[in-house]
Amino acid sequence: MALAFKQETFRNDYKYSNSPSAIKRFPFPFAEDQYMYSVNIEPHVKGKQGTVCEFPFDVDEHYVAECLDKQITLDLDRGRYAVLPHMMDAQWDFVELTMEALSNDYPEHFSLKKDGLNWTWENKPLNIKQSFVFGDASTMPMDPFEFMSRQVQGDFVLLDQRDETLYADGGFVTSQADWSLAFNVGMSWREWHAPVPRATELGVMDRALKYLLNLQLGSPVRRLNWTMTVNPRLDTSPENYPLWGTERNTVNPENVADKVHLRVELQSLFRLPRSNAIVFSIRCYLMSLKELSSYPRWAKRLHRVQKTMHPDLIEYKGMTKFHPMMVEWLSKFDDGSAMDVGTQPE
Amino acid sequence: MERGYWIRSKPVYTSLLWHEKATSHLVVAQGQGGMAVLKLFQLMHPKQAITVLYMPHAEADYSKTLVKVVPEGLQLLETEQEVLTKLDSVLQGMCMGMRLYIAGSEDFIWSVAKVANKFGIEDVGMMKELTGTLARPIYCVHCKATTHAVTTNIVKCRGCGRMLFVRDHFSRQLGAYMGLMIDAESPGELPDIEEIYP
Repeated sequence: MALAFKQETFRNDYKYSNSPSAIKRFPFPFAEDQYMYSVNIEPHVKGKQGTVCEFPFDVDEHYVAECLDKQITLDLDRGRYAVLPHMMDAQWDFVELTMEALSNDYPEHFSLKKDGLNWTWENKPLNIKQSFVFGDASTMPMDPFEFMSRQVQGDFVLLDQRDETLYADGGFVTSQADWSLAFNVGMSWREWHAPVPRATELGVMDRALKYLLNLQLGSPVRRLNWTMTVNPRLDTSPENYPLWGTERNTVNPENVADKVHLRVELQSLFRLPRSNAIVFSIRCYLMSLKELSSYPRWAKRLHRVQKTMHPDLIEYKGMTKFHPMMVEWLSKFDDGSAMDVGTQPE
Repeated sequence: MERGYWIRSKPVYTSLLWHEKATSHLVVAQGQGGMAVLKLFQLMHPKQAITVLYMPHAEADYSKTLVKVVPEGLQLLETEQEVLTKLDSVLQGMCMGMRLYIAGSEDFIWSVAKVANKFGIEDVGMMKELTGTLARPIYCVHCKATTHAVTTNIVKCRGCGRMLFVRDHFSRQLGAYMGLMIDAESPGELPDIEEIYP
């Protein structure tokens, strides 16, 4: 099935929407009426046809527009890409992983031809064709990791494993939920999760780390994370907080359903074969409350989750200003009747 | 502050103690950090080779006592830049097993650490004692400039002029705490500026 890529913007005029099929496949994260952090990691196995987990890296109708937005963000701030010198093997591991996955799963859009170490990559939607020698960075127009990070939706962090922990020693980060790669690069697992409230006390971070240190090649894992964002903006970085922070002031009871978006991160982690590093893929999905409410079951669920949210999390996720309006708008979908466990839309 | 509050990226500083099994010792100190060096020598005069780089500060100058106490390898320097240049050349001649000890302000400690990083000395391989002041180096996440010796909860960025909230989140690579624009959502509305890192 060939995808129809949409022309969209994730800044200024915010020309962005989800087609009915994109809404239906949205990775809605709330299976129960209450939310608290948990180590919700599961094997990143092949999901049902059409779902966001059908393939290791999901390509959808927003692909071309998102890749363009990545380029805009990176052109404005080169600090969104950073990699420490010892990560070159991991860079090539990433190239291999992504090129093989995309060409295998979306052959109508991507192709990879190998003749020994002489590889030719073709990306039709972005009109890129590149021949290179695998393992020889001088045959690439830029760092191998940057080259492919520009061509896959989402953010990518390369995690080096040493001293019984993981270090964020490289990244391409243009659609982050308010964390800074330039600040975090080189940090250990504990350091970069330091500001997350409640999580340390719950032991969530230590347990997740223990799990990931034992991540096996060929057995990737995934989890969902979420926040709420005003406007469909991918670049909600601390760097540009002066630009998007003020947009929180624009939410009112009339526009809340159009302005406020559920932002879900499909986070997946893959062990890499040469470097023994891990690539952490953070793929962002955005859907307005109005779009979400086309499935009343989701709106009803989100109402309950938001109504019972821990105050620390409301603050941490930056929802303080519009949270009451959001809960009020969602309340009309909630008749108070019991709901079964599950994230399904209907 | 809430009970139990602890940002895990915040560096933990300890009192300097000799590593007895080091092959050589390199001690770098500034101002009040001179007292930390004197305390080291109160404990023991190590058998191995010692190099001490010391920079007096307006508030504290232990040069005279150090000259008497440190048996060899003491070098007195006048500016932080001189210390870092000297450190660079000293490290070029150092061998495996050397131990690095740093004492001074956070600005000083992390400037020294940055030079040591270039030589492959990792964070865990350096012993650090914070002395004299709690003043912080603040990295502006917006313009990437670092403002030094910040003693207040809010500071004007020396790079872009934004008013930054001084966070506890610390980056060892940058050797600084994060500063985030405080009035982005409500321009001009600032809480009271108070000295909390004297």
